This record gives sequence, C-alpha cells and structure tokens, in this order.
Amino acid sequence: MTGKALEGLRIIEFCDEIGSYGGKLLADLGAEVIKVEPAGGRLQRKTPPFYRDPGNPDTSIAFWVHNTSKKSVTIDLDSEEGQRLARALALTADAVLEDYPPGYLSARGLGYEALSTLKPSLVYTSMTGFGQTGPHSRYAYIDMVGQAMGGIMTLAGDPDDPPHTIYGNQANISASLNGAIGTLLGVLHAEATGEGQSVDVSAQDAVSMSMETAMMTWDMQKRNRTRTGARGMIPVSIPAFGVYKATDGYCILYVTAPAGADFPALVDWMREKGMEGDLDEEPYRTISSELNMRFLTQVMADPSSVETIAPQLKHINDLVEAFCATLSARELYEEGQRRLLLVGICSTPKDLAENTQLRAREWYQALAMEFLDTTLEFPGPPYRLSESPAAISRPPRLGEHNGEVLAGLGAGEQGGIR
Amino acid sequence: MTKRPLEGVRVADFSWFGAGPIAGNILSFYGAEVVRVESMAKLDGLRAGQPAALNPDGSFKTGYNVSGYFNNFNAGKLSMQLNLNTEKGQEIGYRLIEKSDMFLTNFTPRVIEKWNLDYEKLATVNPRIIAAYAPMQGMWGPHKDFLGFGAVLTPVVGISEMSGHPHQPPIGVGTNYPDYVINPTHTVTAMLAALRYRNRTGKGQCIELAQVESVVSVLGTAVADYLMTGHQQTRTGNRHPNMAPHGAFRCADDETSIGSTDRWVALGVRELWPALCDVLRHPEAATDPRFVTFEARKANEDALEALVGEWTRAWRAEDLMEALQARGIPAGVVQNPQDILDKDPHVAQRGYYQYLDHPETGRAAYDGGAALLEKTPGAFAAPAPLLGEHTFEVCDRILGLTADEIADLMAEEILI
Repeated sequence: MTGKALEGLRIIEFCDEIGSYGGKLLADLGAEVIKVEPAGGRLQRKTPPFYRDPGNPDTSIAFWVHNTSKKSVTIDLDSEEGQRLARALALTADAVLEDYPPGYLSARGLGYEALSTLKPSLVYTSMTGFGQTGPHSRYAYIDMVGQAMGGIMTLAGDPDDPPHTIYGNQANISASLNGAIGTLLGVLHAEATGEGQSVDVSAQDAVSMSMETAMMTWDMQKRNRTRTGARGMIPVSIPAFGVYKATDGYCILYVTAPAGADFPALVDWMREKGMEGDLDEEPYRTISSELNMRFLTQVMADPSSVETIAPQLKHINDLVEAFCATLSARELYEEGQRRLLLVGICSTPKDLAENTQLRAREWYQALAMEFLDTTLEFPGPPYRLSESPAAISRPPRLGEHNGEVLAGLGAGEQGGIR
Repeated sequence: MTKRPLEGVRVADFSWFGAGPIAGNILSFYGAEVVRVESMAKLDGLRAGQPAALNPDGSFKTGYNVSGYFNNFNAGKLSMQLNLNTEKGQEIGYRLIEKSDMFLTNFTPRVIEKWNLDYEKLATVNPRIIAAYAPMQGMWGPHKDFLGFGAVLTPVVGISEMSGHPHQPPIGVGTNYPDYVINPTHTVTAMLAALRYRNRTGKGQCIELAQVESVVSVLGTAVADYLMTGHQQTRTGNRHPNMAPHGAFRCADDETSIGSTDRWVALGVRELWPALCDVLRHPEAATDPRFVTFEARKANEDALEALVGEWTRAWRAEDLMEALQARGIPAGVVQNPQDILDKDPHVAQRGYYQYLDHPETGRAAYDGGAALLEKTPGAFAAPAPLLGEHTFEVCDRILGLTADEIADLMAEEILI
C-alpha cells in the first residue's frame, strides 16, 4: 500500500517562470498545489512551443511541463475583491510559493508579513532573480541575467564566440529546486513546532554552485576559469577525446579518461570494421597502446611533453574521426559502451524520446488531455520513491478549478475571472 | 548558531565525486549530521583534484585534504574511513546505517552489489532508513552499467545539443553541469519528502534517482515538444522566443579582470526596446522599420545583434548594467568568479558564500545553501573534514564500539 509523500499539504502558488518547476515538484509528490493566475495567465502560458494552437494559454508546452499535477484559479490581484479572495485562499494553505518581483505581493496585502501575522504557521517561499534583500534585489531579471550574474555563462562557449546560456532556463530551475527544498524544510519545521517562516531564494545564488571548480579556483589560486569551448580542460588535442561526428549526429568520446577500456579496445573495434588504417604499425602501435590515464595526466601536467608526437597524435585522431563518421550516433554510443569504451551520445530531443534506457524504464508518462481529445506523453518525475511515489497528472487549464476552489471562499457568482 | 532545521537527522553518506556528496552537503548545511564514508581502497578522486590550496611560495599544497573541489562539496561532514571491500567493513557500514535516518549513494549498481548495499539488505538492517540511490543511468534497465560521469551525462541528456551557438558542434557548456545543482537538489527534494512521509507513517523507503531522468526532467520543454508535435529543437545561442535582442554583448575590456579581460553584458528586451535604444544613445533605432516591432527585430536579428554589439563595445560592463537596470531593463554582467567573490556587493551582503578556517587550506570560501530560512537558517558547522578525521569519533560515539574493538579494526585495516 503506497501513499503520497506530501499528502494533506496545501500550497498556494503565485508563480510564473522562476518558481513553477518548484511547485510542480511538490505537486507531483502529492501536495495540493493551487496556482493563482491573472486573466490570460502570466508569461509562461504565452511561451512557445504550443501544441497545435499558438497563443492559446491552455496549450503552451513550456507551461505544461512545468505545471503538472496542479490546480489553477484565476484571480485579479489588482482588484480589492481579488486581493481579499487571494488572501482568504492563502490562509487555507500550509505554504505559499511566489516569484513576483519583491514588493509586488506585499503591495497587494499578500506579502509574508501580512499573511504570517494572520497565520503564524505559514511557510512563505519567494523565488526571485536576486532575492528579497541586498542592493540588487530590485534589479530587473530574466533567466539569462541570472545565468550571467551567477557565473555559469562565463564558462560556456568557445573563446571566439560570446559566452552562452545553458538551455532550459537553468537559473530559474535552480531557484525552483532550492525553493522546493526550502519549502520542505520549512514545512517539516512547521509541522514539528507550529512555527512558520519566510524562505528567500535568489536565482543568482542558486545557480552559482554550477560553476564547478571555478569559484574555488579563484578563491584558492586567484585564477579565473574562462570558457574554453571544445578543448575543455585539456591543453592539447588527444585522440578519442572530445566531440566526434557520426553519420547522423555527434558523440563524445573520453577513451583516455579513468573509467572503462583504454584506446586499444577502440582499435580492436576499428579493426573489425577494417578501419584501423596503419594503427597496427609503428610508431602508431606503441603510441596507441600508451593512450591511457597516465598519458592524460602527463599531458595535463606538461602539455609540451607530447609536442614531439603531435603529428602522430593527429594522424591517430584522424583515423578515429573517419571511423566514427561511418557509424550512427546511437551505434557508436551503445556498441561503444558495450565494449566498455567511455562514449556518450549527444542526444537530440528525438534521441531522448527514443532512448533505450528511458523507454525500458517506462519513464515517459502518457496523460489524457481530454479537452484536446488526445493523449500526450510527458517527461516523468525526476525520482522514484518506493513507498510514496511521485506521479504526474495533467497540467490545469487556465482557471479550470475556479468553481471547486473559490466557491468555498465566498467568491459567489463573481468567483474567478477568465 | 540558531537551531537548524535538520538537527537530529543523521545521514550515512556513501557517495563520491560530485552529484552524491553535494546532496549530503546540502543536508549538512541545514543541520543534519552527515557521516561521509571514505576509503583509501576507493578514494574519491576529487580529494586529489584541482584546485589545490597554495603554499606561500605559490606552489600547490599536496595531500588529500587541500582540494577545493572536494572540500566545497563536503563541508561540515564527519569523515570516516571504512574499507567496504571487506566483509567486516560492510558489517561496520550496516551498523552506521542502523544508527542513521538516511543513506545516500551515487555509486553504480555494480559497486552497490559488490558492497552488499542494496535496499533490501539495508531495510533489514534498518526498516526506517530513507535510502537514496543516485547512479547515472539508474539501478536497473539495459543501460544500468553504462560508464560515465558528468562530462558524459551532459551530452547524453541533451544539454550539449540544446545549448550553445548553432555554428558550433555540440561542445557542451564548459562544466559537468548536471552534477552540481540539478542532481543533488532533486535528490534532496526526494529525501525531504520521504522524511515527511516517515514522520507521518513511520515507514522508510527507497529512493532511486536515475541521473538521466533527473536531468531530462529539467529539459522538459524540448523533449515534450518532440514527443507531442514531432518538432526538433536545437541550440540557438542566446536567442529567445519572447525577446529580441536577447544575448550577451561585448563591452570594453577590463585589464583588472584577471585572465578574463573580455567583458560582456547579458540583456534581453521586448517592450523595452525604445528604452534600450535611449540608454545606448541611439534613439533613432527605436523607429527604424527593421527594428520597430518585436516581429521585425526577430526577422532582422543578425543585423540587430551586430548593431547592439557595436554600441555596447565602448561601455564599461558594470556601468552599462546599472544604466540599463535604472530603466528597468533586465541586464547583468557576465560575471567571472573574481567578480562574484570579490566585487559583487549584492552577493557579499546576502552572504551566500561562507568562509571557513580549514586546518590545511587555511580560510576558504564554501558555497552555502541557496534557500535562506528566516527562523531556522542553515550554516556549516565546520569546514570539510580531513580524510578519516572522525573515524574514531564515529566508531566510538555513534557506533558504540569499544576502544579495543576500534584498535582491532584499525589493525585489521578495516578502517583505512
């Protein structure tokens, strides 16, 4: 007999692009998450891609994947009646999630101070670009600005190109994830003691951990790591190390890295396909047999130590390139891994949709979209809990739950706007 | 220190490298007692990784306790050395699990099997344990034994295909991105939800986080777009469906920015295009027919970006950010680590980084927790532990072993 991890928890969510994913995680885990939206919805409802009907706030795929398992009500927060309704609704909740610019909700009587006075056990989580306090807290924010100020853009891209973002609004996602954690910590504390509190998440802070070693490198060695493009952290070009073109896409090879089989296992495979070229002849045979972790360590410590064999390394790499170019990306990945070679496919969305592992694990979930007369597949939850599994259900249409949710709050005939 | 929210929760942290230890790090920040189990028999490679702290003469400090890479992911933990390749070591491991509320690992299914740490076994030792397994491809399925680490995961989950400039091959994002926020915070979310479930029902459980699923979950739009419409998205640089211009634009170089003198401001507008033109002192561009509407700017985006990039080139990046922000335009300097740690007044005031005195590295910065809880805030109680620093303490205080028993285990090389 399984249950829901967050059963009995009611959350009122005033979120758009920054905080939606956090609310989704809690909703998928079993909390009742009621999303309060203005007429027409906020930006995420208007964000492409759309399913069939561009501009229809009920069919944004970007909205859907960040808002599964929630309910939606529409309330005009600029009207007195709307503010009264939203306040009454928030006071029925264990937690509030919001991502408006700081000050927006308090100006409407929906800030943390006002609500916590009326309900001291309330957990009130704000997820914004720069948080609630500090000299930049009122800065205008979009996801890219979070990725810029949080330090991950400076590491991404080729030195000849502008620094670039990581796909998927990752500053927002990082804020959402930390918002979900902060909310759960607040709820655990409130359930134990009756004491609520505010939780303040800055997207800039939240994304910073993703700088990898860059922060510590500055702190300890006063060196700034910068974007190094395809070269990564390796100072010279090494065979079977980096991005390789296949017939229909790309794979990444890390054959000399400290996991899996070393380079000769790749030569075996090339030989089976008649593509080993002169790798069985000297000097290539000896060099090939030494392309392992020790070699890599030597290159990292002293790039000039391999300068004398640079032409040979290039020749070997050319043969690897030619070999990879005869295989499909999926074959290079799956057969390479079968041979214990460290190979990763550069998956496209199609590759992910067809990914052998994800399909075998039945990760994608088909949801009935009855208002569209169809069934559509969604990405599943990020984790599997044996006793209280996360489960996704259909994202709500705009204002879909106005009747059910608002009727009890004395909204009467006026309840909800569309 | 005020009471932290997870005080009283003990975590047996059998993880290594990035994605697992950072989950333990977050739990440590918020007050859990986290026992990091390590061994010279299978040393966490990050302990030997860069950046190492420097000696006064500028040379690298050596040894297993001076890596910023390791230390930043293990602050406030207790370090216990335990050789799980031995049966006796596994028995000690079970004792720790018996005394813990949570178990955490990101080792592969192969290693978990070898060390007899599967959930069925753990549940017999401690039915209330919340056991989180977070290997790259999950604990089961045809790819469960596939090799990899963050650098392989990044392309496999589609981040490389979807990120970067379209004229480049999928070269990735410069880091092993999924390791640092996405996988650890998902893991902690599930562990905290399971803790609430246990509070209500008394039941522990098994959490399985397949990193591939966890990361594809945050790239949902592109994958769902294909699943639902058959449309294949790919990387578009810094372009955005709702804004134009939207990108990073080069400003004046700054020689004080060490090793990173090229300076950029990221900005994006839709309705605020005229204000942007104003700030950049080219008000005439606001009415240029090529750029006057959002749709027109999208249609002429190459020309638009070239022009904006020309106009920003003379600006000091920080000045441009402030001038744009004064007009309500979202804009931010593409900050490097020096900016964030030493120059950004906002980060300093909010105190995200915690500075801790470590016996071998000296004072060092640590990433803190990004959720600031007003009444039960987090904070690391200590810097990262030295390798095996708490082996005796854990055996004595937590496992209740006698001094003789501990001495025997040392002699038998179980605690190495």
